[in-house]
Amino acid sequence: MEVNIVSEDIILSLKNVAKSYGSTRVLESINLDVYQGQIIGYIGPNGAGKSTTVKIMLGLITEFEGDIEIFGENIKTSGVAYKKRIGYVPENGEIYDSLTPMEYLSFVGGLYGMDQQVIIRKATELMRLFELEDVLHTRISSFSKGMRQKVLFIASIIHNPDLLFLDEPLSGLDANSMMIVKEILDQLANQGKTIFYSSHIMDVVEKISNRIVLLADGQIVADGTFEQLQKQNKEGSLEEIFNQLTGFHQHQEIASSFVSIVENGDSDG
Amino acid sequence: MKLTMDTRRVPTIFNDSNSDSGNQFLKSLGIYALMGLILIAFLFGDQYIFQVSIMYAIVMFIIMTSTISDFSSVLLDVRDKMIIGTKPVDSRTVNTAKVVHITIYLCQLTIAFTAIPMVIGLFNQGIIFFLLSLVVLLFVNLLILIMTALVYIIILRFFDGEKLKDIINYIQILLSISMIIGYQLVARSFEFVDLNVNFSFEWWHVLMPPIWYGAIYEIVLNGVTDLSYIILAILGVIIPLIAIFLYIKLIPSFERNLEKLLSNSGKHKQAKEWWSRFWSKLFVWNREEQVFFDFATRMLKNERDYKLKVYPTIGMAFIFPFIFLITDFTSRSLDELRDGNMYFSMYFSLVLVPAGIQMLQFSTNPKAAWIYRAVPVKNENVCHRAVLKAFLVRLFIPVYLLLSVFFLVIFTERVLSFLIVLMLVAALYSRICYQVFLKNVLPFSESYRVGQSKQSGEVLALLALTIALGLLHYGMTLMTFGPYILIGVLLIINAILWRK
Repeated sequence: MEVNIVSEDIILSLKNVAKSYGSTRVLESINLDVYQGQIIGYIGPNGAGKSTTVKIMLGLITEFEGDIEIFGENIKTSGVAYKKRIGYVPENGEIYDSLTPMEYLSFVGGLYGMDQQVIIRKATELMRLFELEDVLHTRISSFSKGMRQKVLFIASIIHNPDLLFLDEPLSGLDANSMMIVKEILDQLANQGKTIFYSSHIMDVVEKISNRIVLLADGQIVADGTFEQLQKQNKEGSLEEIFNQLTGFHQHQEIASSFVSIVENGDSDG
Repeated sequence: MKLTMDTRRVPTIFNDSNSDSGNQFLKSLGIYALMGLILIAFLFGDQYIFQVSIMYAIVMFIIMTSTISDFSSVLLDVRDKMIIGTKPVDSRTVNTAKVVHITIYLCQLTIAFTAIPMVIGLFNQGIIFFLLSLVVLLFVNLLILIMTALVYIIILRFFDGEKLKDIINYIQILLSISMIIGYQLVARSFEFVDLNVNFSFEWWHVLMPPIWYGAIYEIVLNGVTDLSYIILAILGVIIPLIAIFLYIKLIPSFERNLEKLLSNSGKHKQAKEWWSRFWSKLFVWNREEQVFFDFATRMLKNERDYKLKVYPTIGMAFIFPFIFLITDFTSRSLDELRDGNMYFSMYFSLVLVPAGIQMLQFSTNPKAAWIYRAVPVKNENVCHRAVLKAFLVRLFIPVYLLLSVFFLVIFTERVLSFLIVLMLVAALYSRICYQVFLKNVLPFSESYRVGQSKQSGEVLALLALTIALGLLHYGMTLMTFGPYILIGVLLIINAILWRK
């Protein structure tokens, strides 16, 4: 991994952030400072609270404990202006799919305060680079998962945000598009943008992030560069570190009982 | 052995997909049973060609619209191909299961709708009438099913992908509307003086299936042997049979073409938007509001579920005022009509407003509403106002303008003040409807499946409100300067409400 110029400006800071749904505690006191130009790989098992954290920072969830500062301002009191400098790709490709990409992008861009002419120019260019120019005026409902993901990705950066939240942004993309997106993220970070990236694909996280934050049971259990994590845990790949830190060792047993159920089930059916 | 097992398994898959709405389906059957009571009125007397034709017109109308609106999803389901197609199930079993499912559905619907009238018919008209009705109902159902399927087959042959879904959507809407008109037409296709029905055979009667079945009754129960009746009766029997034959022939190509539903191909042009452009220049001043307005007009234009639920109401909003005019016209001359107050029937066009606004909260992708929160929008009211304006511009104003033109022609310029008041009332009324339905929800942020039937009480109350508004308006016209005072008051109220 090449060395990024990481400045000392804190873009994002979480202090004692906690969240409960009724009696279940989803997040326990998260503390995190994010500096400009970092690509944070935010990982953790299913249900660890990754998406919840992202949604809180975005203002999609407004009820939480603790304080969050984005661009130096507390989001509870600062109003909505900070959202103008943020881009977000949601996890399950949720999009109004009866619209065409152009209609959707001009809606989103317009809400970010962009001029219609600029949106149309930018959107056309970006769609062309993703080889989607033919479907600019086709309903998104007929798109494949990867195509939707590309549209959402464009929608998240069309207004040139300084901070990007990406929830599984590569799901459904083919290998070539994945390379393009990874390279885009890298170059954006070099331009001083900050990227907050959550994913389950460890190989990708390992390659593109210059800082990895591991969340388990609503708490940060590891934080540092991949090299630092390696040193602390004496394990080879991020996947193995992940398993170790989340206390998960039974994958072989689970797999073999799974296989044996599949095979035995056949005889009584 | 395996075949029976499979046939059993497949319907359960269908049932699964319906299970969450199962309760609602039973409820809707109850409503159909209630509506079926209308039929009883046509069971007395022996002018069969007249009564029975109307009866079957109603039956066909109800069953066909519900088949189209509820059931096309099953008929056109391609997803089951993926679920079942990968399992070792014969395609023939799947088709059997489909047919079984459709048959069950149609039977339930027909029984619910006609059971009570049939029993009354049994006592009133005797056993032959009852048995004949059973047979005829069977044919009617067949005809409806096959007609629906054939229409789909024809469209599927010529179009593909997105275009096709659009066309199906429009046909669904169109059929629902034309059934409303057709029902009116049947009632009017007889010149009846007192109760002596004067049925004269016209060539276009051949095109109206309900009359075919009326003719059968006439032949069997009244012993009429007129040639025209026999032709009609034969048509009633033969057409369904031909249709079945055609359907079976065409099923394979139908299945093949169904797969087109999943594909998309070809470039699409950008839609033209001069209409909403024009109105947004007039009514939308704020930039943020402009963005929401564009978004909402495009959503309204593209959301098929929305169109399917609301467009039939547009048809009603457009046709109802005329139905009342025509009813009045048959008893009076044009001059009398022109001097009368029947232009108040235009108030019926307001039915569109609550129906359309209620649906604004729903979307096929309710979860996509995260976007409202992720962007820097200070004031949600801007969004609400823009969406409501988009609704009025896209759906209500076209209906209003068209009706206005017709009414100006019929009633001359003396209804001008009436029309202005009506527009202001509509603006006020829509604002009220919006408050009722979207007080706590963002537009396009709820799923259609949830809570659609929850608000029927509100709809009724709002419809009652239109009547109240209409009466108030009528009361004001009795005063000398009434309409002008009303315009002034409404302008002020609207200005206050829309500023929020």
